[in-house]
Amino acid sequence: MGPIVMAAVSLLTGAVLAISLPGQRARSWSALVSQGVATLLVVYAVIPVLASGVAIEATWDWPYPIEGVRGRIDALSAFFLVWSVPMTFIGTVYAVGYLKPYLKHGRDAGWHLALLNMTSFAFVGVYAMQHALVFLLGWEIAAVAAWLLVIWDYPNQKIRFAGFNYLVSTHIGMFVLVAAFMILHSQSGSFDFAAFAPFLREPGQLRDVTFVLLVVAFGLKSAFFPFHTWLPRAHSAAPAHVSALMSGVIHKAGLFALLRFILLIGTPEAWMGWFLVAGSVLSAVMGALYTSTQRDLKRLLGYSSTENVGIVGIGLGVGVLGLAWHEPVLAMLGFTGGALHLLNHALFKCLLFYGAGAVYHVAHTVDIERLGGLARRMPSTAALFLIGGIAIAGLPPLNGFISEFVLYAGLLDGAVPAGIPRLLLTGVAAVLAFVGAVSALSIVRAFGVTFLGQRRDAKVHEAHEAPRLLLVPMTLHATGVVLLGIWPAAGLWIVGAVVRQLVATDVTAAAIPLPDVDAMVAPAALASLALAALVGVLLLLVRRAQHAGAAHVTWGCGYGAPSSRMQYSGTSFSLPFSALFEGVMPRLRRQSLPTHYFPADGHLSTHQVDAVERRMFQILGDGEQAVQQLRAKSPDVPRYAFGAGLVAVGLIVGLAMLAR
Amino acid sequence: MPSIVLAAAQVIVLLLGPIALVGVINRTKSVWVGRRGVPLLQLGYDLSRLLRKRPVYSGTTTALFRVAPYVALATALLTGLVVPLLAVRGPLSFPFDFVLVAYSWGLGRLFLMLGALDTGSAFEGMGASREAKYSALVEPAFFLALGALGAVTGSRSLAELLQFPVRTPADAFAIVAVVAALLVLLQVESARIPVDDPATHLELTMIHEVMVLDHSGPDLAAIQYAAGLKLLVGAGLIATLVNPVDAVSAPLLFGGTTLALILFIGIAVGTVESLMARFKLRALPQYTLGACVAALLALLANAWNAGGVR
Repeated sequence: MGPIVMAAVSLLTGAVLAISLPGQRARSWSALVSQGVATLLVVYAVIPVLASGVAIEATWDWPYPIEGVRGRIDALSAFFLVWSVPMTFIGTVYAVGYLKPYLKHGRDAGWHLALLNMTSFAFVGVYAMQHALVFLLGWEIAAVAAWLLVIWDYPNQKIRFAGFNYLVSTHIGMFVLVAAFMILHSQSGSFDFAAFAPFLREPGQLRDVTFVLLVVAFGLKSAFFPFHTWLPRAHSAAPAHVSALMSGVIHKAGLFALLRFILLIGTPEAWMGWFLVAGSVLSAVMGALYTSTQRDLKRLLGYSSTENVGIVGIGLGVGVLGLAWHEPVLAMLGFTGGALHLLNHALFKCLLFYGAGAVYHVAHTVDIERLGGLARRMPSTAALFLIGGIAIAGLPPLNGFISEFVLYAGLLDGAVPAGIPRLLLTGVAAVLAFVGAVSALSIVRAFGVTFLGQRRDAKVHEAHEAPRLLLVPMTLHATGVVLLGIWPAAGLWIVGAVVRQLVATDVTAAAIPLPDVDAMVAPAALASLALAALVGVLLLLVRRAQHAGAAHVTWGCGYGAPSSRMQYSGTSFSLPFSALFEGVMPRLRRQSLPTHYFPADGHLSTHQVDAVERRMFQILGDGEQAVQQLRAKSPDVPRYAFGAGLVAVGLIVGLAMLAR
Repeated sequence: MPSIVLAAAQVIVLLLGPIALVGVINRTKSVWVGRRGVPLLQLGYDLSRLLRKRPVYSGTTTALFRVAPYVALATALLTGLVVPLLAVRGPLSFPFDFVLVAYSWGLGRLFLMLGALDTGSAFEGMGASREAKYSALVEPAFFLALGALGAVTGSRSLAELLQFPVRTPADAFAIVAVVAALLVLLQVESARIPVDDPATHLELTMIHEVMVLDHSGPDLAAIQYAAGLKLLVGAGLIATLVNPVDAVSAPLLFGGTTLALILFIGIAVGTVESLMARFKLRALPQYTLGACVAALLALLANAWNAGGVR
């Protein structure tokens, strides 16, 4: 436990130095060095846990009301720590490069970098401590830090709104979580997670309520549909590294907590698994559909987070079903697929957000309808973004393919009970295929419109290659994406310990031999590697012919004066598809079309809005209106207010008496 | 038959099959309209002519445009080695190999779409958009169909799945529904009538062809060959599934029957193309949905069989 404490101290020291040292350079270095040290310490501490699965533990005395705090790093904590802290470090490197232009205008990056340190610190608190109050504290530090990180560009009202929207949403989740913890505390008389286990292991109505509360709270944190409304706003408003860290790393805490409580529950009931699967399928499909229509690159990537947590959730749901049915093979495949996709998503989503940030850095916009042809001016960024894109579409030979392959293996495995369960899970596999194809559509659109073709808007800044401080973090992530794709054993090793820990909660599992997932994935990985080699060989064969190729213009079907405005736009690319789903994806249309024989100028603008958010605001608006009407009717007399207060107090006291 | 001989034989089928299959389809079409038609091996002549030509590249394109055709070709070749074309088992058969098949096709498609967008042409953007749309709509059908085949036996590789035993009427129904779904899939994936018209001359009505307007020379040859390969692989899937011969006792007969069935599917495709017009683009989502529904019905029938749904 020593290195972890030292890492926490290093992070705090770095945060303090980052806001107190004079000069931006010293502040950046203090954040970078402290995070680098923390990364080394954390990795050093958790690698043995991942290798052996044996937890490390320590207890500290703490003043009332927390009292004893138990720190414990088991396989689950180790799995999350081993990539969260390093990725935050990489994100901080990116931040130093990304914030540089702002510093010229007199902004101070110290606070921002200190908040990144605090985020990393919060991970240590949330992942390593087994105490509900410390957990909540870490949860809150991460939430508030994320909020402050999002509103870096606070003079912009839209960004303040997005930040506030996030702050409110995350605290609604917090209330639900506190409610769940209150139930758990009242049942166990302790705030220690281990003390919750006896209550959570006993089937009962109260446990079911607690489970649903927990899933809602964690689902809100991880932006499952329909609790995702804050996410696209926050992700498009925040600086790219903040979006990357929020989407890829910070919000994975929700999934961590979900897994933590699955471990405590031990043997879940089948409905819990179905609940998770159903919510995740909804999340994956809706996330994918919304991803296909966005024109703000970062908003698009934000929706794709909802899609990908859905995919992760499908895996975890299958794992829970496996535990409930005492089918350890299924549990293993489900949890492996889910955990691996979680790690993979962190890798490629950060990469894509960093790519979007690089585009913003040089072009000052991420509106894909105004971009185009960036690949020739920033080839490295384009190549790295494409790697992330192929991975996020789950295509070989990159890491997304491996995790989706394992997920299919779980969904279609023979261990699924014949009949309705197999029918349903096969259906889920088909939905996963649909989601994969839609995300391929989205990424072709995002990459193609942004990086290929010709520039669409002459007003967009003449772009150049992104600076090295932005490219290095992207290269690191891309290396991870490629490595886990062609050498899946590495990824499976990282998730191996946590999967074994989850499967071992089923005591009957020990008797049944578990499948060798390494061996199962190996042929697919080898085949996709062969595919890459085959492409190389073919390109070598035609190299001379291609080199001799003549240069000409794009075929315009005989039209002599093409312009870059005639290219297919992002909207025109996705509209034929998204129009099929207009029922769930409202498209607002404002137009004044030219009429009569001598038409005046017309205009047309379409706006893709979030159905859930729209409905939410509608209900809020209706509610406010109703309250105002009520207020207008009722006389404004202090006596009534006093009376109402008295009734409320009576109600609370009555409830408290009943609860005894 | 030793597996190495089998693999070699499958490679030969892969190299020559697309030319023959496309030839059969074209010959069928010309017979239906009463023409003599092009030689059976016309695709072969076309390919060799294209390979000798000098490619032309638009100044808008990047390296991606030059890579895309060969990714498409490589994915088609790889899936050709996974899918059984002669025996019950393809040379590269492993559990859940069909996931690799579907996702490799997805990769080839992704690169073709990116190549299309790389030209900055409105027509090619349109083609890419349509390709993305219809492939997304038809993708679930493939997994539902194969899931349906595995729903009773719990088998996991194409080699096992395609040996679907027909014992009850529900099985027979399932196999018919699966074949129907796979045929629609074949039409969408390899751009045949009634989904797409490979011979149309109006860019606005094309799906697949309009994506490759700017490719020329060896690049175009790679794309045409890859399209033929996909057709062959899709037909091979269906042929192996419906092959009635017992592969264990008569392996040679099994292989011969599969090849004959592939050619028969070619004739069927050509016949459909001769007798039908291309659907309106508006109607295509329903058509692809039909494939999904067929596969879903097969799945239901099999779940019923397995004793779950009563």
